[in-house]
Amino acid sequence: MSENIKQNYLNHPKGLMSWLLTLDHKRIGLMYLVSGILFFFLGGLLALVMRMELAAPGNDFISNETYNNVYTLHGAIMIFLFIIPAIPGALGNILLPLMVGAKDVAFPRLNLASFYIYSFGALFAMYTIINGGVDTGWTFYTPYSTQSTSNVVPMTLGIFIIGFSSILTGLNFIATVHKMRIPGLTWYKLPLFVWALYGTSLVQITATPVLAITMVLLILERFLGIGIFDPALGGDPVLYQHFFWFYSHPAVYIMILPAFGIISEIIPVHSRKKIWGYKFIAYSTLSIAFIGFLVWGHHMFTSGQSVFSQIVFSFITYFVGIPTGVKIFSWILTMYKGQVSFTPPMLYALSFLFLFTIGGLTGIFLGAVALDIHLHDTYFVVAHFHYVMQGGTIVAFLGGLHHWWPKTFGVMYNQTIAKICAVGVFLGFNGTFFPQFLLGLRGMPRRYATYSEEFVELHSYSTFWSGILGISIFIAVMNLFWSFIKKNKVDPGSNPWGAMTLEWTHTSSPPHPHNFEEEPVLEHGPYDYDKVIVEKTYK
Amino acid sequence: MSEHHITPLRTYLIIAASLLFLSGVTVWVSYVDLGPLNIVVAMLVATVKASLVAFFFMHLLWDDKKNLTMFLMSLMFFGIFVTITLLDTEFRGDLDLNPEVKDPINKRAAFYDTLPLTDSHGHPVDEHSDDHHEDKDHH
Repeated sequence: MSENIKQNYLNHPKGLMSWLLTLDHKRIGLMYLVSGILFFFLGGLLALVMRMELAAPGNDFISNETYNNVYTLHGAIMIFLFIIPAIPGALGNILLPLMVGAKDVAFPRLNLASFYIYSFGALFAMYTIINGGVDTGWTFYTPYSTQSTSNVVPMTLGIFIIGFSSILTGLNFIATVHKMRIPGLTWYKLPLFVWALYGTSLVQITATPVLAITMVLLILERFLGIGIFDPALGGDPVLYQHFFWFYSHPAVYIMILPAFGIISEIIPVHSRKKIWGYKFIAYSTLSIAFIGFLVWGHHMFTSGQSVFSQIVFSFITYFVGIPTGVKIFSWILTMYKGQVSFTPPMLYALSFLFLFTIGGLTGIFLGAVALDIHLHDTYFVVAHFHYVMQGGTIVAFLGGLHHWWPKTFGVMYNQTIAKICAVGVFLGFNGTFFPQFLLGLRGMPRRYATYSEEFVELHSYSTFWSGILGISIFIAVMNLFWSFIKKNKVDPGSNPWGAMTLEWTHTSSPPHPHNFEEEPVLEHGPYDYDKVIVEKTYK
Repeated sequence: MSEHHITPLRTYLIIAASLLFLSGVTVWVSYVDLGPLNIVVAMLVATVKASLVAFFFMHLLWDDKKNLTMFLMSLMFFGIFVTITLLDTEFRGDLDLNPEVKDPINKRAAFYDTLPLTDSHGHPVDEHSDDHHEDKDHH
């Protein structure tokens, strides 16, 4: 028995090739995690370069051209190389089979292939950086993207390739959820993180092909001048925006839905209370995934699209608020009268509730056509989507990382440092992005390397706090890695937070190479704190 | 999916004949000018053909119904994409007083060709050469 516990997926089998050719979902998840965090730091570094440039008006740090490259690469790397693959690829891969009691995902070889396709696509993105960058913005809008002499083709080709990795991961997860659940684990007994990954996967396989088509059309337009986006040949540049946002708006939900799933796991566990409104949260995930397909035109209110479609898009956009509100209220009601403990994962989850609510509500502002005409392409939009993407997704990702770190590596990080960093991230984030709402309301346009004197105060304030934010995230991640190097081990059978899902109750930390020593038998639901007592092993 | 469906040869031949017939329809209909319906008819025939292949040759009809759901979902999302995009392109410029702008995009492209070139401020520019520009200034 002790021999078996010593053997885990990290140390068995050994050797570099056993990692590079592994079919183990946990190892593939770790490879995603490491590459995702590297790209996150690269994208973060680019963000800090931008903030340095914007600390004062004028071009004292970098030139206009460099600035255009920096913001394009920041956006493209963060979205296509980190946020979209990171949570499903890393946490999803590591946890999904464990949560459904399976030995692995449905198609382990396809899973490894997804990782290599992702890496291959990432090489194109890296080539773009070495070869002088790309300056169109991460959205690659025509007509500029068909004319720009920068590396539009390598970058879009990279995104095209990474899209396939996304589709294959989605397909794999859907098949896993349908076919690999242990007996008795019915749909309504699944952890909500699994529901979230399922919703995400549906969006991935239905929306991502459109991104591929868009990128191919853009490349064909550049090389062959097929004219689909060129009015002189009977095309329409706004059509590009329809294509692009038909993928990229659902992609916003590819980014945020897994974060919702993480929060739905963290809050009941750290409040020791049954989740409030399980079915509502599960179905709101699916309805967000569906409504997400009907609202893409709200990115295009100033593009010259017809007033009729603006009204339709604006109207449908408000509907997104309903399932999202259902989730937020369910989480708050879960905490109500629970035993809330302020552990690092819970601090991140609480930050998430605050930040995502601001991000979501400002989204309602921007969904109103009349207001959006004024706020479009200002810092208000920049602040809004950072509150959703960073305040929402990345904060939830950090929370999830802290929550499952003892499970993944069998080690516990320094709690005090982790808590200080969580507070630092919260303060740094608000300090960086709240002033940007004010800047946007006062008319500061996005994507400019300089600005007029009146904006100095808010911009320098934002730059100062971005430093705090950057340092906090860096120390938080280093704290995690340090615990791994220092081998501050937890007992392999331990369940530090007293969680109820299979990955905590039925396997060791770190898990066995084949996940479970014997097929787990389901004894209770994922959040049955009202029925069963599960002890916390970490006080 | 444990039992394997065996399709009689007859069915395959009927489907093959239908596909050939529909290919003929595609060619024939390309000679008939239906105006804006040209693209609709061409896409409709192509969709029917693709569906026949998926249902019979690829056994979707006898397969797990989840696969059929996926197939229908893809058609539904395609429908959403085209329909809502048409809400833009068919109604573009509907508040504009210039009647020419209300026309669909392909007509408008021709319309724009007849207009003189302007810069971003709406001032006329000459596309040919600089000395032309100078001539204009003299006038």
